[in-house]
Amino acid sequence: MKYIKFLLIFLLAINSETYAKYPDAAGIIKKIDENMFSTNRVFESVMTINGKRSSRSIVSRTYSVGDEKSFTEYLSPASEKGTKMLKLDNQLWIYSPGTDRIIQISGHLLRQSVMGSDLSYEDMMEERKLTDIYDAKVIGEEEISNRKCWVMELTAKVEDVAYFSQKLWVDQESYVPIREDLFGKSGKLLKRATLENIKKIQGRWFPMKFTYKDMLKEGNGTVFEMTDVKFDQKIPAYIFSKASLKK
Amino acid sequence: MKIFLLKGILKDKSRSLLPIIIVGLGAMLTVLLYSWLKGVIGESIIMNANFNTGHVKVISREQAKTPEQMAIDLSLVNIAELKKELKKNVSDMDWVERIRFGSLIDFPDSEGETRAQGPVIGWGLDILSPNTKERERFNLAPSIKRGKMPSKHGEALISEDFAEKFEVKPGDVFTLFGSTMEGGMAFQNFTVSGTVKFGAQVLDRGAIIIDIQDAQQAFQMPDAAGEILGFFNSNLYDTEKAMKVKVKVNAMFASDTDKYAPAAITLQDQEGMGQYLDYADAIGGILITIFISAMAIVLWNSGLLGGLRRYTEFGVRLALGEDKTHIYVSLLYEAVAIGLIGSLLGSFVGVLISYWIQQVGIDLGGMMQGSTLMMPTVIRTAVTPTTYYIGFIPGVFSIVIGNALAGIGIYKRSTARLFNELEV
Amino acid sequence: MLEIKLAFKNLLGAGLRTWLNVIVLSIAFVIILFYNGMLDGWNEQARRDTCEWEIGSGEIRHPLFDPYDPYCYQDAHKAIDADLQKLINAGEITPILVTQASIYPQGRMQNIVLKGISPDQKLLKLPSDKLNGGDGDIKAIIGHRMANASNLKIGDRLMVRWRDVQGAFDAKEIVIADIFRSNVPAIDAAQIWVSIDVLQEICVMPNEATYFVVNDEYLKTHREALAPNGWKFASKELLLKDLNDVIKSKKASSGIMYGLLLAIALLAIFDTQVLSIFRRQKEIGTYIALGMTRFKVVRIFTFEGTAHSILAILLGSIYGTPVLSYFVRAGIPMPSSVDQTGLAISASIYPVFSLGLIVSSILLVVISAMIVSYIPTRKITKLNPTDAIKGKIL
Repeated sequence: MKYIKFLLIFLLAINSETYAKYPDAAGIIKKIDENMFSTNRVFESVMTINGKRSSRSIVSRTYSVGDEKSFTEYLSPASEKGTKMLKLDNQLWIYSPGTDRIIQISGHLLRQSVMGSDLSYEDMMEERKLTDIYDAKVIGEEEISNRKCWVMELTAKVEDVAYFSQKLWVDQESYVPIREDLFGKSGKLLKRATLENIKKIQGRWFPMKFTYKDMLKEGNGTVFEMTDVKFDQKIPAYIFSKASLKK
Repeated sequence: MKIFLLKGILKDKSRSLLPIIIVGLGAMLTVLLYSWLKGVIGESIIMNANFNTGHVKVISREQAKTPEQMAIDLSLVNIAELKKELKKNVSDMDWVERIRFGSLIDFPDSEGETRAQGPVIGWGLDILSPNTKERERFNLAPSIKRGKMPSKHGEALISEDFAEKFEVKPGDVFTLFGSTMEGGMAFQNFTVSGTVKFGAQVLDRGAIIIDIQDAQQAFQMPDAAGEILGFFNSNLYDTEKAMKVKVKVNAMFASDTDKYAPAAITLQDQEGMGQYLDYADAIGGILITIFISAMAIVLWNSGLLGGLRRYTEFGVRLALGEDKTHIYVSLLYEAVAIGLIGSLLGSFVGVLISYWIQQVGIDLGGMMQGSTLMMPTVIRTAVTPTTYYIGFIPGVFSIVIGNALAGIGIYKRSTARLFNELEV
Repeated sequence: MLEIKLAFKNLLGAGLRTWLNVIVLSIAFVIILFYNGMLDGWNEQARRDTCEWEIGSGEIRHPLFDPYDPYCYQDAHKAIDADLQKLINAGEITPILVTQASIYPQGRMQNIVLKGISPDQKLLKLPSDKLNGGDGDIKAIIGHRMANASNLKIGDRLMVRWRDVQGAFDAKEIVIADIFRSNVPAIDAAQIWVSIDVLQEICVMPNEATYFVVNDEYLKTHREALAPNGWKFASKELLLKDLNDVIKSKKASSGIMYGLLLAIALLAIFDTQVLSIFRRQKEIGTYIALGMTRFKVVRIFTFEGTAHSILAILLGSIYGTPVLSYFVRAGIPMPSSVDQTGLAISASIYPVFSLGLIVSSILLVVISAMIVSYIPTRKITKLNPTDAIKGKIL
């Protein structure tokens, strides 16, 4: 009996030591959010979609405010140039210059992939702060891509979330996740995002390259590369109106 | 003598009118039955060939793994070259490229914003070239309910039921919204030139037909197509010939290692069509044999009756000293003449009616709706080359046989009985 | 009596000519029976299969549920209340939950419909008991069409991805526990059946259903109000409408065919009648001269023509009975592709020859023969007996 008590105390000690060894999880994801989310941002990006037959790159400029408003204009290739996408809350409109039409994307269509990528419209729209939707826990330390990372486990604390849990590898220096594994409730790995090329922009660390891969599908995933990011800009309000789609 | 007999037939109504009417009716019924059966039995084969499978279909190897699930990203490329090759190697076929797609139709409100959206299955077909047969294959002109055929690029036909559901009329503009071959966003505006009703549930729920070039533009597929269908110039499916074409086409690309290189499949390779074809051939053969035999028996009987009708006349002719064989031969000549005239008239009327039914169809489905059936509800006759002569088989042969049998009686007539009959 | 004797004597006396007419008419008769019997058999089989496998005696549906619109599934479900639960316990209804999901054959995404059914249900023929157990695996049953299309065997595992009621993604492997063979494509093609408890759990739709299949008992006990509060009722006849329409269209199509065949046979009788009246003017004249009314003579001749049909029916029965009863026993084989039209059709159709069908076919043949036999005899009524005896009028 005594022996068991001793063992318990010992185990507890180890346990508390573990906690002591790792920083506070809530603190980490708060730092991640501080890096990754901003009141608004303006960026240019190149999305490279690696299809089975060909790869193509799509250049766009995006203005976004938190997770409720975003406006994207496609700049190239020629076939997509001038196409614009406006998202307000849960609604999405697409403007195509060739047809001069504004088309609303709703319901099931939001679940379709955007331009053949591994991202759905919904994936693109889902941009909530981790602290709002997940409870976090640090479960270890690992080195990937030559960076020391905290390994974190995030579990949804709200119900309306696309991925029930996430496993994050958070760079210890910059507090930017450099890999995100997204899981279903059953524990099945559904998507993997790899974040690279972390740069300091306006006082925050930000990954300039994202690679998304739908783990159930074949293919090489979609690469999203930022070429120019600016945070906390003055974005005129008219940008986020349907009128600006046709401009 | 022949002209003399012909004059007799034409002038002596009592001798010729009824038999000609009977033979004519018989030939007409035979023609109708034949074309009806061919139409009914062939309906789903023809429909499948015209809409889906062609007689031979060339698709990419990757697509050939799941030929039923057309995927635009598995399309064929360099089709101009490919078609040239196909035409060179298999010249007795009409090779046509098509794009099948699934997409969304978006109807704008007065502001140009989305008023309503609906999913459609669509075809990009060569409907605008002057010599295209695609319009006939899809039976477009007769299927139009409102409006007219597309006459220029940017015009489309949509299902009548679909148009009704979304309150759309010819002249309205809509946007086709889908994925390009590479996965990009495809947008294209079209004007509804007309609405169509095919009489098949799957299509009438929501289909769109546009010109192939418009589809290539919309889905960014320059010089690409989902499939190239080959149709025999005779327009009739021939299993053996199709197999040969398949082997030949596949041999043409045997050395190509590309996953998306062309591969050929035949109509009967697809969706259990092979078994259906055999079955339809067998059933069709049996039914047509039964009907032709029935008609032959009827006209044979009619020939017998025709011969009997003229016993008195033969008696008089015998009494006048005419040779029995001469009478018999003249009887047969007359039978041939009557058979030919009757069959000609009957076939003419029969083909005319068949042709008419082939054009307009008979709608048997009434108000069938709300299902996923790919079953034609409008039945059409099929006028094939055989239709033109099938009526003559019972028409001429049977009547001649009937007369020949009836005429044997002439040789049995004795002079004594003849005078008895003449007394009347 | 005299007419009957006379008619048959005359007919049989005409020998070959009569038999040719009779043969053709008998073929028409047998074909009419065969076709209608086949369609009735198909109808019966398809209705039975559809009821046993798919719709029971009708369905109680969520008001938004439209089986042909997969996009409505997202919203068309709600909780089973206490009253419905009582009916489930009584075995009068069984709940089914429907949701959209994806599978990944060869790395390509393919949309399917995931349906949840109670493993204990006895209402439908689906082998749902095979969904029991599973040691943590999700067990699934699929139909043979789905199995063929996706190349699946019993024991195979495949990844299924779905979204729960809140839109959260999840994916898990399921195990094919059984492959059933049903003639009803509507419960088979692009569908996977799992236990309703499992589906409710993984979709976070506790105790919810999209629709219920009901049995006859339910119809009896709920005659007054078939649709429970907040649900709508789809009757068996409504659900079988497509099938009825197709059968109707097939009947019309085959009707045209055997109508033409019958016309051919009747043409022969007409021709025969015309000739026999022409040849037997003296006889007709004699009858009338002897005091028979013209009406009676018309009747004799009409009956004589009609008697063809009686002989045809007798002849048809002689060779038709063994042929048709062979098909009743062995069935009429159907090519497998027919079921791709989306209708319930079995590999063999067993024709059904009801008394009604036989009687109506006999009446059709006899009455139509009577009409064409009568038409040429109308001449008789205008006949002057003296001229007739001399053979001068017709």
